[in-house]
Amino acid sequence: MSHYSPIAETCKHLILIIGALIVFLPFYVMVSYSLKSPKEIETNTGGFWGAQAPMVNQYCVKLGNPVDQCTTTPIVFNYTSAFNKAPLLRYLLNGVIVTLSIFIIQVIISMPAAYALSKLRWRGREAVFNLILFSLLIPVHAIALPLYLMLSKAGLVNTYAALVIPWTISVFGIFLMRQFFKTVPDDLIDAARLDGMSEFSIVWRVMLPTAVPALIAFAIFSVVAHWNDYFWPRIVITGNQNLFTPPLGLREFRGGADGSDWGPMMATATVIVIPLIVAFLIAQKKFIGGITLTGMK
Amino acid sequence: MSYRVRSVFKQTVDYPHQGAAVFMVFPAITLMIIILLIPVLVALVFSFSSYSLGSNHFEWVGLDNYQRLFSRSNYQKMFSATFTYVAIVVPFSVVLGLGAALLIHSLRFAQDFYKTIYFLPVMASLLAMAIVWEFTLHPTIGLINDTLASGCDISWLYHLLTGSWYGVDPTNSWYGNGCMRGFPLWLGNKNYALWTVAFISIWQAFGFNMVLYLAGLSSISRDLYNAADMDGALSSWSSFWLVTWPMLGPTTVFVVTITMIRSFQVFDTIEVLTKGGPVKSTYVMMYAIYEKAIQQNLVGMGSAITILFLAFVMVLTIVQRWLVERKVHYS
Repeated sequence: MSHYSPIAETCKHLILIIGALIVFLPFYVMVSYSLKSPKEIETNTGGFWGAQAPMVNQYCVKLGNPVDQCTTTPIVFNYTSAFNKAPLLRYLLNGVIVTLSIFIIQVIISMPAAYALSKLRWRGREAVFNLILFSLLIPVHAIALPLYLMLSKAGLVNTYAALVIPWTISVFGIFLMRQFFKTVPDDLIDAARLDGMSEFSIVWRVMLPTAVPALIAFAIFSVVAHWNDYFWPRIVITGNQNLFTPPLGLREFRGGADGSDWGPMMATATVIVIPLIVAFLIAQKKFIGGITLTGMK
Repeated sequence: MSYRVRSVFKQTVDYPHQGAAVFMVFPAITLMIIILLIPVLVALVFSFSSYSLGSNHFEWVGLDNYQRLFSRSNYQKMFSATFTYVAIVVPFSVVLGLGAALLIHSLRFAQDFYKTIYFLPVMASLLAMAIVWEFTLHPTIGLINDTLASGCDISWLYHLLTGSWYGVDPTNSWYGNGCMRGFPLWLGNKNYALWTVAFISIWQAFGFNMVLYLAGLSSISRDLYNAADMDGALSSWSSFWLVTWPMLGPTTVFVVTITMIRSFQVFDTIEVLTKGGPVKSTYVMMYAIYEKAIQQNLVGMGSAITILFLAFVMVLTIVQRWLVERKVHYS
């Protein structure tokens, strides 16, 4: 570090570039396959873009359309099939509904609790905090089976509620906000009390605005985890396509994929992966901070 | 004694917000009990039964489920697959994460470029990327085997990789064998499947570890390196062991435990790529819970695996906390 040598620097770059190529390989394959014709995919030809030679959409012909209307380029074929063969738009919408509901409920539940635990003195505070430290030991994925049993007894399997309920309580969120609130000066709260604010309005009108940076980090943490989550939706959504989240939709696609579906399937994968990647590239620092929140206690 | 009396007296006066506070934590506590604590008890109770969903048949079977867990060969394969998987993923993704962080941290140019690229897999849906890897590793049309096979026709590369340059019999080498009989099926071969799935996990996880290590590295004070220099630790090798490695201790504890807990929970790649096969070589615990309890409706068995799984994860977290709390304390 202190002794800069151009040779060492070049060697490091060489190693890191090889690593970067391996890391990047599947992204390249994904996007490239989503652009190519089935023939090019099968023979591994056409480079990155493919030849984009006109091709006939057999599915469209089967529906009784004349052949010349069904002739498209592979890229159009792949992406239109991705949206037409399965309700991909619906999946994306479900993904948005589920991740947003989870985040909003998490905030509503954890903010007041974190405030009470960090800024108010009351009997039982220690006990409640110890309970939270204990609950941090239980990953929700690990208790998926009993949760599934309880939800199915309540008749909630195959509903949005089943997708959201297990995540409404984020013990980690409470813990995180508590640590953050501790750094907020007490004077701010005392001033608000002198103004006649109730404890609840202090939470939402004084603490919430100061907590925006922490909340953004937590939002990224929460949204990325639940947009990409496959395990839990897989368990509680059985068959009802209208409730599929994006990963479930992609999984369903793969289940019935034959040779001609590879292009559209990779197009689906691209559509699911791209939003978060783009958001990440725009706000890298915030995303890295959010994702690694668990490590920054 | 007088102090005690005073503190008891203070209690009644000093909690003006008791009502508001209890009201504020009430929803969180209720949800925590219903969603996190009761399910643990439910799993514990069902693990001693032969319950199945839909039939109202509930029968106590005592320790039968646990006995089966520890005696049947299927479950022995489950433990072996789970632990082998963790034992592969943890060291590789931690060492690669640390290695990448050290290299990037010491660069003059393009630090952010590599950081961005290496972090991309963390953002991407593991399920989607698993499917892409499956294509890339496809035995006939996949890019990997295609590239490997095309090397067989390039004479000097063939001689180099099979070792026939230095007098090794080409048919005895891994590469020569691949050229003759075809390259591995990767996910379809019981000797390669677990390693292949582990590779995908390492590919996804090491960027996360790298970022944590980078944060750790940037918090090490330059003075420490200067002091080590004065003490004669001139090579970067010795300053690594003298300064960097000990200072990264807390980061390493965290990185190792979180990678362990996460790889214990592996499910997505297994469900979509191997379904626990071939010959149960990738039959990890989360997949076993899913297969037994959700697909085959053997709730008792699934609950027993759940309890064991929880025990592993809890012990890991407690050990981590104990290691960390010797250094930092939550105040």
